[in-house]
Amino acid sequence: MAQKDTINALIRRGVDEDTATKLAEKNYLLGDIQSASKKELIKELGKKKGEDVYKKVSKGKKKKKSRTKKKKDKKKKTKKELKELEIPDKIAPLGDIAKKLIEICDEKGHELPRKTIQDAADKIKEIELPEEDYELMLDLIMDRFESRRVDPMESVGIVGAQSIGEPGTQMTMKTFHYAGVAEVNVTQGLPRMIEVVDARKVPSTPMMEVHLIEEFKHDREKAKRLASDLEVTNLIDVADVEIDMADKEVVIKPDMKKLKSSNIEIEHIMDQLKGVRGIKGDVEKSGKTLKIVLPEDEKKYASLHETIELAKGTKIKGLDGINRAIIRDTGEEFIIYTEGSNLKEALQMELVNIENSSSNSPVEIYNVLGVEGSRNSIIKEALDTLNEQGLEVDVRHIMLVADMMTNEGDIKAIGRHGISGKKTSVLARAAFEITSTHLLRAAIVGEVDKLEGVTENIIVGQPITQGTGAIEVKYMPKKPEA
Amino acid sequence: MMRKGISKRVGSITFSYMSPEEIRKLSATKIITPDTYDDDGFPIDMGLMDTHLGVIEPGLRCKTCGGRVDQCSGHFGNIELAMPVIHVGYVKEIKKLLRSTCCECGRILMTDEEREEYISSIKHLKHLGGDSLDMRALTKKISFTAQKSSVCPHCEAPQLKIMLDKPTTFREDSRKLTPKEVRVRMERIPDRDLIPMGMNPDVVRPEWLILKVLLVPPVTVRPSITLESGDRSEDDLTHKLVDILRINQRLRDNRDIGSPQLIVEDLWDLLQYHVTTYFDNQTSGIPPARHRSGRTLKTLIQRLKGKDGRFRQNLSGKRVNFSARTVISPDPWLSINQVGVPMRAARELTVPMKVTTENIEVIREMVLKGPEPFDRGKYVPGVNYIIRTDGRRIRLTETNAETVAEKLEIGFTVERGLMEGDVVLFNRQPSLHRMSMMAHEVKIVPGKTFRMNLAVCPPYNADFDGDEMNLHILQSEESRAEAKVMMMVQEHILSPRFGGPIIGAIQDHITGLFFLTYQNPLFTRREVVSIFSNLVIEKYPESVTLDDERMWRGKDIFSTFLPEDLNTEFSSSICENCDVCKGIECDKDAFVVIEDGKLLSGTIDESAVGAFKGQIVDKIARDFGTDSARLFIDRITRLALGVITLKGFTTSIEDEDVPREAKKQIKDILLEAEDEVRKLAQSYNDGELEEMPGRTLKETLEVMAMQRMGKARDNAGKIASKHLGMGNNAVKMARTGARASMLNLTQMAAALGQQAIRGERPSRGYEERTLSHFKRGELGAEARGFVKSSYKDGLNPVEYFFHSMGGREGLVDTAVRTSRSGYMQRRLINALEDLMVYADESVRNPADTIIQFKYGEDGVDPMRSIKGKAIDMDDIITDLKAFKRGGK
Repeated sequence: MAQKDTINALIRRGVDEDTATKLAEKNYLLGDIQSASKKELIKELGKKKGEDVYKKVSKGKKKKKSRTKKKKDKKKKTKKELKELEIPDKIAPLGDIAKKLIEICDEKGHELPRKTIQDAADKIKEIELPEEDYELMLDLIMDRFESRRVDPMESVGIVGAQSIGEPGTQMTMKTFHYAGVAEVNVTQGLPRMIEVVDARKVPSTPMMEVHLIEEFKHDREKAKRLASDLEVTNLIDVADVEIDMADKEVVIKPDMKKLKSSNIEIEHIMDQLKGVRGIKGDVEKSGKTLKIVLPEDEKKYASLHETIELAKGTKIKGLDGINRAIIRDTGEEFIIYTEGSNLKEALQMELVNIENSSSNSPVEIYNVLGVEGSRNSIIKEALDTLNEQGLEVDVRHIMLVADMMTNEGDIKAIGRHGISGKKTSVLARAAFEITSTHLLRAAIVGEVDKLEGVTENIIVGQPITQGTGAIEVKYMPKKPEA
Repeated sequence: MMRKGISKRVGSITFSYMSPEEIRKLSATKIITPDTYDDDGFPIDMGLMDTHLGVIEPGLRCKTCGGRVDQCSGHFGNIELAMPVIHVGYVKEIKKLLRSTCCECGRILMTDEEREEYISSIKHLKHLGGDSLDMRALTKKISFTAQKSSVCPHCEAPQLKIMLDKPTTFREDSRKLTPKEVRVRMERIPDRDLIPMGMNPDVVRPEWLILKVLLVPPVTVRPSITLESGDRSEDDLTHKLVDILRINQRLRDNRDIGSPQLIVEDLWDLLQYHVTTYFDNQTSGIPPARHRSGRTLKTLIQRLKGKDGRFRQNLSGKRVNFSARTVISPDPWLSINQVGVPMRAARELTVPMKVTTENIEVIREMVLKGPEPFDRGKYVPGVNYIIRTDGRRIRLTETNAETVAEKLEIGFTVERGLMEGDVVLFNRQPSLHRMSMMAHEVKIVPGKTFRMNLAVCPPYNADFDGDEMNLHILQSEESRAEAKVMMMVQEHILSPRFGGPIIGAIQDHITGLFFLTYQNPLFTRREVVSIFSNLVIEKYPESVTLDDERMWRGKDIFSTFLPEDLNTEFSSSICENCDVCKGIECDKDAFVVIEDGKLLSGTIDESAVGAFKGQIVDKIARDFGTDSARLFIDRITRLALGVITLKGFTTSIEDEDVPREAKKQIKDILLEAEDEVRKLAQSYNDGELEEMPGRTLKETLEVMAMQRMGKARDNAGKIASKHLGMGNNAVKMARTGARASMLNLTQMAAALGQQAIRGERPSRGYEERTLSHFKRGELGAEARGFVKSSYKDGLNPVEYFFHSMGGREGLVDTAVRTSRSGYMQRRLINALEDLMVYADESVRNPADTIIQFKYGEDGVDPMRSIKGKAIDMDDIITDLKAFKRGGK
């Protein structure tokens, strides 16, 4: 087996079969050959072949250096390209009435959430409440607000988990649904919910919602431009690619109409083709057609075919990962929905409104925008999934899940590999999954279970430390005086 | 003196590893003989069933502690292994230790400076509050760096690569290391070198990981069972221990007589195998040990692992006493707070009562009456057991009742049967949320089923097609108090999931109230009396006089049950969402206005009193307290049933009749749609169809056909519903939200419409066609699952097939869904269970990490919120107005 692999690996690197078999039979492994010196190889195979193999296979120091250098260059280049994005403050400014209300609150020591104050201000505006009544109104609000508070020691975690889990049984399994946009498939229902909670690296149907910057949001042409810039266009989409058998060349005949509509220059195609690894030979331009001329020793049928396939699949423009971009006219503005997503690069584009364009993957948002963004994304995705199914769940429950998932500064999945596996209690971990390993490890480290959580205390058989169990009130009856 | 009622808590549990010395010290006896019982059936000394290890048969006494079966919990024994073997659970640790320490001197493969640096970084991490898992990650990294060095920095001995042949063989450069050699190396590692590798030298020495002594669990842990035939059947663990003992003996013998190395090594390997499977019989790489019958043995780890393991089966959940389970049935005469308990169950289930100076006479009286007393044929709670101060239990019978009653003393506990008004817990599985287990008051009923009010069906998700539910009797005053304050049904009218009511009127209740209030009908005296005969009423409705007769209006009757200062406005379920809402002037009587507890306009239906949607219920529960809400629900449900019994209500197939010309219109619509799809298919075949952006041609066709078919069904439904007016009982149910929906009705009256599989038209089955009734490649409506018939007309065979396809998908869906969502919920609960709101409104976990600074960002309880909002501004304005009126 190993020999076969070695032979294959060598052939892939351009060594002819005979030599490869010879080397393999002498029990050389690929790594050995790569690190072998030229002399050794010559000794083994004779001068000509030895040198040849060395050239093709060896990881000589010279080559290595150049490659790393290239990589570095590339990195620098992309780094330079990245714009510093300024994330604008999205919180709506407070109105005059709201400001006045806050003033009164501060004076009286009321503590109310901003949302409530905003609601109150809106109501005041609506019914034109005279200013002298503001104070009374706030007092009444505060009165009610007190009674709406959570009780201390309430086990909000369990309530939250139940509130999200219970409607799960009512959700559909249907994977695909045409959500608003008929052209884009989106995973919905229970599978989507599980996906969000699992914090998958890539959701099963990645999607982006791209808005245009303020000044062009009604501009259909600009929207079209942006859509075509986002969508990956391969060479085959804009040109006919053929093999000229006579000259043993690959001939590319671009469709000028398509090129124009998607704003591509022929020179750009040339540049892209030149950049493709694996296409050997030169790209030549003659009039409106392009030719790939292979080097003399490569003018073989097989390599022609290899080249044409590579050429067809060459990306001419667009962002990696975005398969489709569809424009939607909401009446208010043009929005572009994409199948597949590449938020990082999309946000760099000129026409994209960075304020409200987003992806449906919390993990991607984490990578691009950071934890806070991903927390909001988890909340949004979970809430949307539930609401789409017509299920009402309070945001607070979902916020708690999102906060738990992002508490440590990165996204942790709900489950064995994420939060549950990180619990401090040995018994709690043992009770969830993979029982034995946890117990064995605990023994040699000398772990101490402080019995602070729920599961541990149930295992031990004593009251849990939440709700009424969190408070210790002891009643000592007075001894009746004899 | 022990303080009564204050129980001690287990503060913490420390895990550690037992040293061979500890095992020997703990051991009650050495085990040598592989045999268990002698010919007389008595345990053999120094055998696996030695009575030093505890007893499992009644009559025998434990030789270690002298206790009987129920007194002695058993003692450990030990087996001295002839040759050391490796503990399977720790092979990875052993490998790590071997690799990161020197093979010659046993020192960790790093300089002392490096070691101290790592130790201090571990200390630092501990100081920062790193838990055992962070620690594990760090120590893994440290030992990994140690493994990299190929020469020992202490003695400069070259290090050879140590490989692990799973599961338990170590090789050093293809030379096998015997456990003995491994043990010697482990012994050489100094204590301080263990710290950077994540071992705690205070609790474990690495050489202990190679076993020389094996701890034998007490017999009580592995009891043998005697079959009816008199044969004994041993526990799996005993079987395994027998194997170990046998091989151990042979190994010892062979070693002592100096047998060839090969034989000794083979036996050694065999011993290793047996010890390995004794710990974990699912170790990968070796065949599991089997019982004679071929069943795999359940050894130590199997006992703990998985859903049926000790942890999840016996520790996280436990079986309880004082519980009952039976079928449930409905009883509208009960309050939502009550549960009907059949007499037989009430006699069996008991509540403990402590005898005190205050109650001794009452209790004596009860005891005197015996276990099954009746008072003129009515149930009276009896007493089943008396527990004396010394802990002895006396079963009370008719005959000993008098003598026992005389002996009754203060301090005794008396277990009496259930009494009306006792607080019990009632539960239906699956217990998906906290409303699946609520406290009820007992009401003794005849029959054999538990009875419950219909309004509590939604929180339990119960119906009466054979559902069973569980009842638990609380056993302490504290628990009863807690249950009464926090778990009573009335405390759960509002759901914490969305801040709305989850308990409310359902089905006939809604229809009944609809009849009472829709268009405000008049009721005669007889009728009103008949309706009110179901209820206790506190005030009488206003009457009107028409043609010299006193009549009562439906809305006034309903208003009787509203709290006096209730004010609210909303639109009914029957609201048709007209373009301009006329509000109180609504000619469809679909806008509810309640002023000072009087229903002025609008129809009472689902959106007023229904479970999940009832706005009146919601408001009463919030503003007037749960007592009022409970009363309101109890009363209006009975009121509704009174009305509906008076009026009578039925639905039949006639309700789906539509006039002939409507039928014709529907048919035309469907045929037209079919035609259009045919044209679409034609243009697809001709290649004339325009591709949608980003779709293939085929997908475009399917999407368009789907849309067209959906539209056809909607249009057909519209025609049908135009002819199904409010005079129709089926329509009444659908529109008020009592039962079914308009979609169901149109499917019965007009057409079923497109059947979908995975959201698409059916497309598989035969080659290029769905059923053999069609030509290959046919893409028209009927070939792809469009059902033109209605349920009432009946389906033709082809349609029936398509309908079944859709039905099958639904069934599969539910089956898959329950397991998937169950697992998701388990994970969610496991992840969030420890979170709690502290007094400062922050949410923290037991490690005191703050998860949220203020719960839900505003500190509002979702249950107390109004659909998530902290404050309903309209309420504030009403309050404000009222305040000003009263204030000035």
